[in-house]
Amino acid sequence: MRKFLIGTLAASLMCGSAHAEKIGVTIALLEHNFLAVMAKGMQTYAKDKGIELQMVDANNDVAKQLDQVNNFIASGVDAIIVNAVDTSATQAMTDAAAKAKIPLVYVNRQPINVDTLPDGQAFVASNEVDSGTLEAKEMCRLLKAAGKDKGATAVVMVGELSNQAAVQRTKDVHDVIAAPECSFIKIVEEQTANWNRAQGQDLMTNWISKGTKFDAVISNNDEMAIGAIQALKAAKIDRKSYIIGGVDATQDALIAMQSGDLDVTIFQDAAGQGQGSIDTALKIKKGEKVDKKVYIPFQLVTPANIKNFLTKN
Amino acid sequence: MTTVTASDEAPRIRRRGSWPAELNAALGLLVLCVLFEVLGWIFVKQSFLLNPLRLSIMITQVAVVGILAVGVTQVIIAGGIDLSGGSIIGATSMIAMSFAQSSVFPRAIFAAQGWVDLPIWIPLAIGMAVALACGLINGWLIAYIKIPPFIATLGMMVTARGIALWYTEGKPISFPTESFKAVGDGLMPVWIFLAVAVMFWLLLRFTLYGKRTYAIGSNEAAARMAGINVERHLMLVYTIAALLAGLAGLVLTARSQTAQALFGTTNELDAIAMAVIGGVSLSGGRGSIIGTAIGVLIFGVIFSGFIFLSVSAYYQNMVKGAIIVGAVALDQWRQKRQAMEIL
Repeated sequence: MRKFLIGTLAASLMCGSAHAEKIGVTIALLEHNFLAVMAKGMQTYAKDKGIELQMVDANNDVAKQLDQVNNFIASGVDAIIVNAVDTSATQAMTDAAAKAKIPLVYVNRQPINVDTLPDGQAFVASNEVDSGTLEAKEMCRLLKAAGKDKGATAVVMVGELSNQAAVQRTKDVHDVIAAPECSFIKIVEEQTANWNRAQGQDLMTNWISKGTKFDAVISNNDEMAIGAIQALKAAKIDRKSYIIGGVDATQDALIAMQSGDLDVTIFQDAAGQGQGSIDTALKIKKGEKVDKKVYIPFQLVTPANIKNFLTKN
Repeated sequence: MTTVTASDEAPRIRRRGSWPAELNAALGLLVLCVLFEVLGWIFVKQSFLLNPLRLSIMITQVAVVGILAVGVTQVIIAGGIDLSGGSIIGATSMIAMSFAQSSVFPRAIFAAQGWVDLPIWIPLAIGMAVALACGLINGWLIAYIKIPPFIATLGMMVTARGIALWYTEGKPISFPTESFKAVGDGLMPVWIFLAVAVMFWLLLRFTLYGKRTYAIGSNEAAARMAGINVERHLMLVYTIAALLAGLAGLVLTARSQTAQALFGTTNELDAIAMAVIGGVSLSGGRGSIIGTAIGVLIFGVIFSGFIFLSVSAYYQNMVKGAIIVGAVALDQWRQKRQAMEIL
């Protein structure tokens, strides 16, 4: 509530500058690292473009977020950007904004009604299908480059089974390997390590104890990959015998990559999503036609381009 | 005086009726080992047990939760419950790690203050201090404010997780000093777990601390009549449980070489399950560290066994659940039979 008040106060103070477009933004939980980066990206971008941003924190409270949207509508903003607390509770916000004819853009978290969004509303995020696909394709390319295209084996480390991203990324790996150009890769083991580094370490050690041979370790996230790296080092497995990749491009992963321990990771552009949502909101406001789903691409991070990512997350 | 003797006698009386609960657990462990061994030869064409690396990872992967389980065991024996262990792991991990960072990493939390490359005792002491504070609050709420242990420790579970998340707003803390890494390196977690288990087995079996714990768990009113300062003792029990959770957090952090706000999530439930499988009765007064240690090993064997057989993790959870419920059902049946025998 306090943050909201401060936000409103700041906004009303800035009203003096007039004319500038005014966009109301509600973020599910500003303490969340990724969302914080996204929010910061939005603020910087808005400042550059001379847009007035009224940003509030929903504190993971569904009811509060709906209130915030209604408040935005009441105060007559030009557009609203919502990072949904609960992606299955977005219909009410959609209805409220549609009734007031104010453009509404969902960012980062896909609302349940994404396929039935009315005109003047859109969803901006990265396409989750891309992350696992980019990772697996790069691993495939590396294996080919290493001359293993006559036949290679891979182990897959899966995130928490209840998590959509884990299921999707694992499916992406399978899809890439099903395509003819990468069908030389055979998955020999696939098991969960719950996104967790220690469990990744345990899982890899268990595989090593079994004598599992592999040319590639494809992990759903960086933490499990780093755990696997620790286990592989402890077991003194030859670094040249395998390649290893993760997703997220965390600080730890980037440093692991710099020291040659990690080969591939995927960067989800938090700030880019934030900027994309502002652009989309403004386009709708101006009456331009936009796609219902606007995708900000994931980016492949390898030792070759790592320099561009070191300070991004 | 007489009651103290009675509580002294309690473990022996339990042994008379039927075989001890620990034996059930040990049999269960044996059955699981034989099962995986046989299935191993059929499906993987290799031995499950005759593999030094597998034997070591079997214990290493459960050592951290094992340390937590020892603390929870004495709480349950005293007739209580502790749900806060997993979150205390998280809070301890985050705060201790921020004082254990190496100067190799330029963006350390306290780089500006120059608090990097600190001697190892500083993060260890700070971590244990965090755990101590959590434990004292738990103990005080339960023993003196008379809040039921389930509620008090549930509150701590939420609060400590909140602290872990708040500390860096969810950002992980990594890159510890070499000396801190050593706490979790190789088989170190196993040695720490074994040391803790042996120490608390001795403590519960042979000392006044143990006798009072069993006495309070069996019959709090009787223990009070016998002159035991129940409040003070419960305070001690919950504080020790939290300190062990803190130790588990330090070992996990050193082993992972990182601290993450969600570390230890649901570990408290695994720890309770390990104790229960090992024959520790949730109604208090019965059970032992040996039983819990066997429960810990059962979890380790299941984890490794399922990976060994390449079975999907979905089934692993189902089997884990079934084993927990089965162990309690067996315990209930045994208790009923014992009660009938006494009649």
